[in-house]
Amino acid sequence: MKNLLNFLIKYNYWFLFILLEGISFTLLFHFNSYQGSAFFTSANYFTGNVYQVQNELTGYFHLRTVNKELVEQNTELSLQLQTYRDKLMDLTQDSTGLVRMKQDVLMDYDIIGANVINNSITFNDNYITINKGEADGIKSEMGVVGGTGVVGIVYITSKHFSIIIPILNSKSNISCKLKNNEYFGAMIWEGGSSQFGFINDMPRHAELSVGDTIVTSGHSAVFPKGLPIGTVHNINNSQDGLSFKLKVKLFTDFAKLHDVRVISRKDVSEQIELENQIEQK
Amino acid sequence: MIVYLRRVGLFVGLILLQVLILNNIHIYGYGTPFLYIFFLLIYSSNASKNTLMLWAFFIGLIIDTFTNTPGINTASATFLAFIRNPILNSFTLHDNNEIFEPGISSMGLNSFIKYIVALTLIFCICLQLLNSFSFFDPIQLLIKILTDTLSTAICILCVDAVWRR
Repeated sequence: MKNLLNFLIKYNYWFLFILLEGISFTLLFHFNSYQGSAFFTSANYFTGNVYQVQNELTGYFHLRTVNKELVEQNTELSLQLQTYRDKLMDLTQDSTGLVRMKQDVLMDYDIIGANVINNSITFNDNYITINKGEADGIKSEMGVVGGTGVVGIVYITSKHFSIIIPILNSKSNISCKLKNNEYFGAMIWEGGSSQFGFINDMPRHAELSVGDTIVTSGHSAVFPKGLPIGTVHNINNSQDGLSFKLKVKLFTDFAKLHDVRVISRKDVSEQIELENQIEQK
Repeated sequence: MIVYLRRVGLFVGLILLQVLILNNIHIYGYGTPFLYIFFLLIYSSNASKNTLMLWAFFIGLIIDTFTNTPGINTASATFLAFIRNPILNSFTLHDNNEIFEPGISSMGLNSFIKYIVALTLIFCICLQLLNSFSFFDPIQLLIKILTDTLSTAICILCVDAVWRR
């Protein structure tokens, strides 16, 4: 008995070591399963505020580029708006149609602006933290877009902060399609460069060429149809040879992402409920 | 008392430096300096394994909380603390009873560099292996380990030269 006690005392650091490593690995492998809790993440109150202060200090450095992008985007949008308006006026001389259509488009979605306060691009599982949370109406599974294209999907929310799974995460899977036709696939990331994503399951008979634009499909409840994601960079065969593997150059530059918008669709509960029913069967 | 204040100051300072500045450094997309392990490497030589592991656990946990990499830094730093003393002893000619803080002045440049590179390499191997659970790319893994080790070791040597003054 005494020998055993001596043994335990002599090698007590082994027990502490195993205990501490045990806690670490529990954290490592259970990050997915505690989606409700944001304690050990950058969305908790303390870390969120440290990043918020940093963001307020460094936010000014990006103003010039942000401004330039906004102006470019604004010009493009007003041009587009003008062309659509003209087209619509040509098609429907009846002006009440235009009013009704405007209302229809805006009725389905809420848009919440937010700032990126923490971001990474070098890990295999990158996350983005933004400075808006439940208090601002953000819930998990909402879509997030930047100035130039799709960014990702909201993952964990706390009261004033949220964590987003960007395209640059092994867990990310965004339903997308070719802009010109309806062939669809799933946008994933396989590590490496932060500028490229992949679509592994594009059917072989799909008509496509390098340079085609990839947009969201609108099949999931997260994103509306037609938000730009990227352009086809090259086309290869997938590993099983049954479909094309597309390398997609992403529109969003994750390395200098600063302003994002969270899109919340107002009435998704019915669609989600229906889809869950199928999964349960 | 002053020793403790200095230690806590270094603890907080290194965490802030790591999460606010160094984590944003990626030389060609690789090579992030993990300077915060400096805290564990220069902890005085008479520290017990338990003390060192607890410090390592908490510094890793805080870094992980900031970077959304739960467990990765915690596990690597704890392991680093676990193997630090044997490796420190193998690189020094001091008597076991003598108390010193590892550094260029106390160990000499040559053996300090060996000590830093050995431990940094082990730390980066742990970190990147844990990080590569989601997808495994051996060449990229190797590049990441080597560039991270190099940038971390250089940073630690520079900081050590300044910190001693």
